[in-house]
Amino acid sequence: MMPALRAFVPGIYPRSAGLVAATRDLDRGRTTAMAVAERVERDRLALIAAQQEAGFELIVDGMLDWQDLFRPLAERCEGVEARPLTRFLDTNTFFRGLLVSGTPRLREPVPVPVLPGDWLGTLPSPYALARAAGGAVAAEVWAAQVLAPQVEAWASAGAHLIVLDEPFLAREPDGLDELAAGLAALPAACPLVLRLPFGDAGPLLPRLLELPLFGIGVDFHATALEALPRPFPAFLYAGVVDVRSSVVEDAISVARFVAELGSLEPHGIALGPNGDLQFVAEPIAQRKLERLGQAQRALAEAA
Amino acid sequence: VSIRFTTREIGSLAKPSWRVKAFAGQPLQEADLEEARRWGSQLAVSDHERLVELLASGPVDETQLAEVDDWAARYALALLERTGLDVVYDGEQRRTEMYDHVASNARGFEQRGLVRSFDNKYYAKAALVAQPALDKPYDVDEYRFAAGHTTREVKVPLTGAYTMVDWSYDEYYGSPGELGGSRESRSEARRRFVQDVAEHVIRPNAQALVDAGCSWLQIDEPAAATRPDEADLVVLGFNVALAGIDAERKSMHICFSDYSSLWPAVLELDACLELQLEFANRDSRELGTTDEARPGYTHTLKLFRQQGSPGVGLGVLDIHSDFIEPAELVRDRILYAADALGDPGRIQVNPDCGLRTRNWNIVYEKLSRMVEGTRLAEHALNG
Repeated sequence: MMPALRAFVPGIYPRSAGLVAATRDLDRGRTTAMAVAERVERDRLALIAAQQEAGFELIVDGMLDWQDLFRPLAERCEGVEARPLTRFLDTNTFFRGLLVSGTPRLREPVPVPVLPGDWLGTLPSPYALARAAGGAVAAEVWAAQVLAPQVEAWASAGAHLIVLDEPFLAREPDGLDELAAGLAALPAACPLVLRLPFGDAGPLLPRLLELPLFGIGVDFHATALEALPRPFPAFLYAGVVDVRSSVVEDAISVARFVAELGSLEPHGIALGPNGDLQFVAEPIAQRKLERLGQAQRALAEAA
Repeated sequence: VSIRFTTREIGSLAKPSWRVKAFAGQPLQEADLEEARRWGSQLAVSDHERLVELLASGPVDETQLAEVDDWAARYALALLERTGLDVVYDGEQRRTEMYDHVASNARGFEQRGLVRSFDNKYYAKAALVAQPALDKPYDVDEYRFAAGHTTREVKVPLTGAYTMVDWSYDEYYGSPGELGGSRESRSEARRRFVQDVAEHVIRPNAQALVDAGCSWLQIDEPAAATRPDEADLVVLGFNVALAGIDAERKSMHICFSDYSSLWPAVLELDACLELQLEFANRDSRELGTTDEARPGYTHTLKLFRQQGSPGVGLGVLDIHSDFIEPAELVRDRILYAADALGDPGRIQVNPDCGLRTRNWNIVYEKLSRMVEGTRLAEHALNG
């Protein structure tokens, strides 16, 4: 029997051509921060409408003003500066590496996204934060001092789910112990899903399934279906839409693949992208989001 | 033997506001004219008053854009010459951007929209939808103009095949979007993509440049270390692109990556004079020639020393910062590298990457200090 099914799009969503132009103009001194904020708001409302149209139950704000996965947290931390340009995995995108002096501590949480209805948020995993800082501070410290108050803040504001993005672990499985220590320092205030973008989750899954996580996000463009344990004793976020490809997925093919996942007997399934949709331009992202909605509907009808 | 380091740029410079606005069809302001006037005078660009007259005469029409481009190239050459560089080019003034320049000149690529690179920086990403090919070489006129307007040595930057592949979507070779596709099938698709772009797009352009007199081809591969398991494809792209091309110097520029994965594959680069790498971005700004003072250089230079090849284009300027590296800091970075390699003869000096994100005032100061610091290092080494 097919378990409960959802679709959602965690992570950073691409900026529209208008917002791209506005941010470029801001850098060149041709517009104001307020004008950019207004443009962000237009994009955000359009994204909300697209998700509602697609039939998503959990809505995201697209993190349209996040310069990278770490920046908003870094900017609100004592003892942290985001500076050296650092390549993000094997992509042509970069983040600002974190320079740490002393123990990082969150001064104030990243504001709660203003969203209608049920929503989810995305944060870096504690191990990802540790890696972004070059290992200068342990994941456990990032979890206790930075992520825990952030998770508490969003959970108390009604977040239904928080996706912890963990891009590094699949490439360096030795980090599992450090990730585990970090996760142990997080509050149980909200269900946490650990998403592993652009990496083979297979070798990590046996251990990840023992950690205090509500669910695990698997990139099925980098992980073989056979690599998943049966049964799969957690919620399964299925990264079925490939954000590194400009080809828009066929909804029926996606639905067929997800139907196979039902045989793993997970505690629930979510369909989503295998990483941030910002790796494709906004018009393509919009079409991929629509296809997720179509696949979700096809599966619901088949059930 | 007296040590003399060659100083050079890597590639791109920012475009002057008068060039940007002219091409965008925007009205020019007095500030734009003043910029043309000031830099023309400061750099002693001959007849630059003609440019100012052209810009002041009203909207720049399409027939005049080529002339504006020529002026931008002349200004860029003059800027680089004035800082004292030994090897120059035109700051890629005629190119939209290193990736789009190739994608829009080759056949087989279609634009797929803007994708963020970092912060508020984006690039136009294309998809390959058909066999890559070239109708005609795209950099020869640019080269001829640059070579005809400088007495310095000229080095032409060319975007490499691997970077073109890595920065493009593949809608032709592979089966993108297919769930559960095997690693082997994806790998083979990437290899064919690199091979074909190198052979059918980069090589004919490179051959035409050498036929026109170009002696130094720099293959830009900022994506080279992006996927550690594909270093052999980077080498394939370089070797296929330059196979049978009789340039005096061939080199490769790579930046903002973990370079560890490039060895030993880069030892197979055919006749590659050097790797021009970014170092300063990850270095401290303190003076000194110890490992502790030079964290940005330690690890990578060890690789060069251990492997013995090729030469090093030493990045000594952080191109993402307005910080003006003092000459003494440049000196110490070079002296550290000379000691770390045990052979100063393997080193030449350059910025980390192209300086297109900095304004010309900053570029002028940075490069001038780079040249000054290089002379200080030579003085220290030569006693």
